[in-house]
Amino acid sequence: MMDLTQKMRDKARELLEKEEVKYVIGWEKGTFWYQSPPVFISRPEDVDKLVWDQFCINNLSKYLLDFKHLEGKIALFVKGCDSRGINRLLQDQQVQRDAFIVIGVPCPGMKDPEKAKGLSEDKADQLQLAEKCATCTTPNPVIYDELLGDEVAAAQVDDVERFARVNELEQKDPDEKYDFWKRQYDKCIRCFACRNVCPACNCRECVFDQAEPEWLGKRVVSSENQFFALTRAMHVAGRCIECGECERVCPMGIPIMSLNRKIIKDINNLFGSYDAGMNLEDQPPLGKYDVNDPEEFM
Amino acid sequence: MKILNKQKLKDLLNSLAADATVYAPVKQDGVIRFQAWNGDQEIDLTDNALLPPKDLLFPQTEVMYKYTANGMRAEITEVAATAEKQVIFGMRPCDVKSLSMMDDVFLTKGYEDDYYKSKRENTVIISLGCNEPAPTCFCSSMGVDMTEAEGADVMMFDLGDKLALEAKTEIGENLLASASGLEDGSADKPAGGQCQLKVEPDGLAEKLAKMFEHPYWEELCRKCLGCGACTYLCPTCHCFDIRRKNIGEKGFQFRCWDSCMFSEYTRMAGGHNPRPSKKERVRNRFLHKLQYFPERYGKVACVGCGRCLAKCPVNMDITRIIKELGEVAINE
Repeated sequence: MMDLTQKMRDKARELLEKEEVKYVIGWEKGTFWYQSPPVFISRPEDVDKLVWDQFCINNLSKYLLDFKHLEGKIALFVKGCDSRGINRLLQDQQVQRDAFIVIGVPCPGMKDPEKAKGLSEDKADQLQLAEKCATCTTPNPVIYDELLGDEVAAAQVDDVERFARVNELEQKDPDEKYDFWKRQYDKCIRCFACRNVCPACNCRECVFDQAEPEWLGKRVVSSENQFFALTRAMHVAGRCIECGECERVCPMGIPIMSLNRKIIKDINNLFGSYDAGMNLEDQPPLGKYDVNDPEEFM
Repeated sequence: MKILNKQKLKDLLNSLAADATVYAPVKQDGVIRFQAWNGDQEIDLTDNALLPPKDLLFPQTEVMYKYTANGMRAEITEVAATAEKQVIFGMRPCDVKSLSMMDDVFLTKGYEDDYYKSKRENTVIISLGCNEPAPTCFCSSMGVDMTEAEGADVMMFDLGDKLALEAKTEIGENLLASASGLEDGSADKPAGGQCQLKVEPDGLAEKLAKMFEHPYWEELCRKCLGCGACTYLCPTCHCFDIRRKNIGEKGFQFRCWDSCMFSEYTRMAGGHNPRPSKKERVRNRFLHKLQYFPERYGKVACVGCGRCLAKCPVNMDITRIIKELGEVAINE
């Protein structure tokens, strides 16, 4: 990984020195050894801040929206999951492909920073993969202008593993399901971290931010929280790239990916297997019409 | 001093609950938060609660009054302003200190907020000292003594399998005198731990007064997601919005927490927003804590609990930011 860090720095320096880009978005070391948060480099002399290690867990693709109106280009490093976020934004026509340079980095999976808390750095090797990485099927970037390093072998994650939590929840009866989700979303403090980090949540103005009409009431109560959860889940239905960032950033530990994966599983059963953000050609199943779509309800 | 065997914790809480609602840190669905004691929860005194107990005095959602409107007739029903007695058990010294800032906001400068005041006057605080601060704690730099919480009615120490309780006010003395499970005894006060993170916020407010247009904010804001996790987990953040809920002819006015990180926080009716981007919002959050609040109340609006930096998805770390603000060059 040290080797890739150097390659990243060299690449970033080259792009900035040649003034091909205004910013390079990557990761730097954070407050603790188990944190590698996003960093925005604009000067060649700052490229040594960039790192590539097992804690570069943040998906950087969403930041492209912040530079929509920038005169000049952006370069960003992407893991497999981040690259699917790029396709998400392109397919949703939120960004122009010629406005940024994508530098792919094959990803061996990131470690769980929550589990690292309180551990000393020499225990790093004992850390497990972050949960969102344990079921990853796309470690290698699917869209890039340049790839640094060698592609890594994708783990063989079957649907049983991928939908394990969904399958478990499906065993519950309706009252138990309601009880489970009510308890989870009663914890929600409505900080909107899940929405703000999500590459599929790319509306210019989010419906939850509109005061008139007030679609989502500001009271933090079960009914409003559930309306928020379900509306967001259905809005990203068929477009969720499974980067797992929503669940990672939730301060209250709500298992948001169980909700997203339930919808992915249902869509796969209804419309055929589909993985969002893998390419630009395959349209999201709920965003296109196919005469062969099931229509039992008609 | 009173000593409590931890196995008798339930007896103590049950006796306190006889004439007040007792709130204690309970771990449920993976989150430690203050919950009303019902006689049968698992109390968790290991780590500080993820959510500060500020919502017991300043609820995230609070009805202010109810009304009915029928044609030209309208009727308003005030919500009772007299709160019930409550005991907050196991509140950490940092969170106790945050109440002095909430008091400043809701009780001073010529206006007393009845909703807050009533709850505050009916609240008894049993604080738990910290033997081992978390890696994200920096309370020592913010004037918090982790073994002595100013403003607590009872100070409590963790002695392993026992708790030591010491009354600090008359209310606290009366509370302990009638509580069950306690024995007279004595114990050495634990020394309290050392915070790994340290900051020097002294003198920063004066410097910040000259930094409103500093390019630092542009750089700082970039990675911020604009979510409200930091503000909602903060024990000193106190901004709220007032909204109305209409149901046919009836309705109610309520207030709810709001966050300066949100786009609609400063958006006006006509659509203009004086804080249109992340830069202005992030700047406001830190200037409010480090400049505006000190200017108005003579203290920094941060107690060093570390919740924001523990939970920020992008590691916006207020200790680093205070340090950088101290070092950055300004044009006088």
